[in-house]
Amino acid sequence: MATFFGEVLSVYSRAVEEDDDDLDDENEDERIHREIEEKREVHIVWCPEVAQSLEDSGSNKLQCSDLIIAVGTNAAGFLSAYVLNTESWDAVGHVSLWNERSRGSSRQSIAPLPGEPACLFYRHRDNPAVLVCQSTCYIAEDQLFQWTEKVFGCLQKRGLSVMVLSDSPVAEYKTPDYLYGSAVPFLRSLKSSASKGQALCPALEQPNILTGLPAAVLSHCQVHQIPAVLYQCYTDVISPDSITMETFKPALLCLSKLVKLEPCLSADVLRKFAIITEAQSNLYT
Amino acid sequence: MAARYDRAITVFSPDGHLFQVEYAQEAVKKGSTAVGIRGKDIVVLGVEKKSVAKLQEERTVRKICALDEHVCMAFAGLTADARIVINRARVECQSHRLTVEDPVTVEYITRHIATLKQRYTQSNGRRPFGISALIVGFDYDGTPRLYQTDPSGTYHAWKANAIGRSAKTVREFLEKNYTDEAIATDNEAIKLAIKALLEVVQSGGKNIDLAVIRRNQPLKLLESKEIETLVAEIEKEKEDEAEKKKQKKST
Repeated sequence: MATFFGEVLSVYSRAVEEDDDDLDDENEDERIHREIEEKREVHIVWCPEVAQSLEDSGSNKLQCSDLIIAVGTNAAGFLSAYVLNTESWDAVGHVSLWNERSRGSSRQSIAPLPGEPACLFYRHRDNPAVLVCQSTCYIAEDQLFQWTEKVFGCLQKRGLSVMVLSDSPVAEYKTPDYLYGSAVPFLRSLKSSASKGQALCPALEQPNILTGLPAAVLSHCQVHQIPAVLYQCYTDVISPDSITMETFKPALLCLSKLVKLEPCLSADVLRKFAIITEAQSNLYT
Repeated sequence: MAARYDRAITVFSPDGHLFQVEYAQEAVKKGSTAVGIRGKDIVVLGVEKKSVAKLQEERTVRKICALDEHVCMAFAGLTADARIVINRARVECQSHRLTVEDPVTVEYITRHIATLKQRYTQSNGRRPFGISALIVGFDYDGTPRLYQTDPSGTYHAWKANAIGRSAKTVREFLEKNYTDEAIATDNEAIKLAIKALLEVVQSGGKNIDLAVIRRNQPLKLLESKEIETLVAEIEKEKEDEAEKKKQKKST
């Protein structure tokens, strides 16, 4: 800059960006994004035997012929009561993740406590190709893809068949007809195109849609042409309830072909898994 | 479609629904079953007992409440709403006695309750009462009455009716079995109420509460022993009927 008196002053131009500050900001933003991503990452923790067999197999994949996934407290309770109550199932792993609604333990290696919302894997001792997954924790939308990729990434795709059980409030079921009390709870099904067999209940009518983990799993199976069938139970009770769990019974037909099931289940065993809210809830008389 | 019209109670939907009132009727279905029968000289209220927690005082969990000496009601739905309605009705019964020096007629107190319920369907910021009530009693002139109210504030007189969880099943049973012979005596009317409840109650007599009002007598809550005796009588009658049918078939 030239002044009136002929001297030349060097001044900083305000038009030039202050590179140093910007870089810091960007770095900070990137750092925060990375931290959040790491925090929200989905980790599958297998038990030592399974981790070993994963390593031993060349492709890092487990042999699995049937994967049964239960999403939601009623579906998980049904599996616990009807399938997992025999002694022949081993807990082989769990999924550890963090989101605002599912604050998993900060150390991944700690298995979730019984009764905590969690995502657990069980394998049948006599038929190790049958895997059961019980998911009662909330998995955020941004984590669903990771969950599906990582879980299915550990399984052999060939010969795999998937069944998903999930529950949903009946208030979300859209229908032009009035639903009488006796119709609820009820089952509806959805299949991937690769699935050949007949579903055991009517198909889910339009415009109803699935969301969350069941939708992510079914989408993955559809894309990768894995035969998959989903049974969604619509119920009017918000807590785990024995009548809702009994609604999943038709699925036992498929399961009994794979593993030996308890032939006859007393209502008492079911009630153990259903939270007895009726006595505590004095809301309705 | 309902989503835009069920927020505020005072808004009609384009097809004329008041969704909050209809949802309140769904809340009624969450309560356990109650049945009311109008006999010739007796009125009977039977309810499915709610399962009581181990440490809870059983006698504070009652579905049948006296409104006055000659009127009582059973409700189904939200417990707290019922308490408010019952309190207001009891106050009105006494106020009526003091003002008019006569006990209320069953229709009067039912109309009072129904008017109260209707007011709550027409003001903003308030939700309807989530209860239906069966109101039974004898009028001053000795006529037995049974009325039913619902969250919308309507009330009607009935010969026999049921509200709550499996009301439809019980009502169908009553439609088939409410005959003049069935209510010929007081005992028969009580047994009809028990039979109706046994259609939907799971574990039999120990889950049933019964209240009766006889003409010129106060409300009487039956003891569980009496109910068990009556249930045993009903079972025996059923067996005898089945035996008779078998014999008829074989001859």
